[in-house]
Amino acid sequence: MRKFFPVDSLARDSRFNQITMSQSQADPRSPLMAADTDKRPKANRLQPSRPDASDAARSLMHGIFVGEIQALEGAGRTCHDFETGTEAPFALKLDMARQAWDEARHVEISVKLSEWMGSEIGQYAENTVLFEAACSTDPVLRLAGVNRALEGLAIDVFTTMKEFGGIAGDPYLEFCEDWMLADEVTHVKMGSDWLRRITENDPDRRKKALEFQSVVDKIFSFGGTRSDSQESPIGLARRFRELAGFTDAEVEDIADVSLRALEERKEFTRQAQADAVEQFAAS
Amino acid sequence: MTATVEPSEFKFVSFDADLIASIADGLVDVLGIDRPVHVIVDEATPLARTRTEIGDTITIRVESGAFEDARQPRHQSELSTAATLARALLRARDRISGGFGEAPADDDLDLRQIAAWEVYCVGRMERLGVPVNPQRWKYNFRNRHGFNDIADAAFERIWAADGLSWGELEAVSTAGATA
Repeated sequence: MRKFFPVDSLARDSRFNQITMSQSQADPRSPLMAADTDKRPKANRLQPSRPDASDAARSLMHGIFVGEIQALEGAGRTCHDFETGTEAPFALKLDMARQAWDEARHVEISVKLSEWMGSEIGQYAENTVLFEAACSTDPVLRLAGVNRALEGLAIDVFTTMKEFGGIAGDPYLEFCEDWMLADEVTHVKMGSDWLRRITENDPDRRKKALEFQSVVDKIFSFGGTRSDSQESPIGLARRFRELAGFTDAEVEDIADVSLRALEERKEFTRQAQADAVEQFAAS
Repeated sequence: MTATVEPSEFKFVSFDADLIASIADGLVDVLGIDRPVHVIVDEATPLARTRTEIGDTITIRVESGAFEDARQPRHQSELSTAATLARALLRARDRISGGFGEAPADDDLDLRQIAAWEVYCVGRMERLGVPVNPQRWKYNFRNRHGFNDIADAAFERIWAADGLSWGELEAVSTAGATA
């Protein structure tokens, strides 16, 4: 079986339409630029009080669904891509196998929740950036990028969705998100533990892994999707991150990176809209 | 009457103003709308809100996400365009044709009332042949009325209804939200 599978060859049927992060980021539109009015305050946090809450929750649920598929593929690849012992300890692979089993269950739960919320498989574009982060040739970088950065984001997403379900009174959403959240905390903790164990005597490798994690964290904060600001749909779940092995300083770093990404996205949108107007006038 | 669309060309999205006008024209015929329709698309935001102003002309202001193909961001979906315009025109027809005189202005409707009126529109849309996913609208209705059998029964009554007045719609919705 092939090792180090490329992102453009992931197996999907005709229901799916994949887009890359660069395509997604090239969109000159942004909800962050909406005018602040009495009827539409500038808070974008995903809460039932938002007029478009149901559709926004459905869209996020589909994003979770495709994210779970890619997380399953990433954990599975880590079991296969590296030689046991020389490149990755057997116990690390065992943890990845356990994670793949969890992710498979999450995919099934996400499909059921999507049906419950009135979405269809493939109704929204699939951003493949999660699997891209799982393509590193160093297993430690994969753990930093996928388990700590992306599964960390999953903690933030599931916490937001669980709270959404609780406030709306949706018993299934709240219950399912709570159970998946528990798994994600475990996945992040596995990443934190393995990162520390494997790089215990290799500070350069640890530094590289943490830098890679920071890059992935920033990419996933694109568009200001996740930050402490109420302008972001998803908040930073500090308590669960602490349970998953993040130090207070690490959480503060992610908070700073996320807020910077939010401001950068606003600036990008202003510039992209100005460029599009200029191009249109020239044509 | 021919529907008009603004802008005629788009800068941020790949939308077709002629296609939007043609879909609006078709709906005007099917729904028996008695006055011109003007559609204004705000292409600067990916959100999907619509606002309708009724005068001698029906003006529908649409954020670009409402016409978008969610599978291909920034591209137009004919189905989403038809569904969005049909909902807006059905609401406008309700207000014009009578029975909805005491309905609050759009800006004064609360989220429960909006959800109930949407269900009333989408149920009629389905019977007109516009493809819809009832579960999507049931989920929104439950978010605004409650996740229980009483709310679900109210949803079914509104979905199947034709010729409701605002008072009747509001009564079923209010009763559905009491559990």
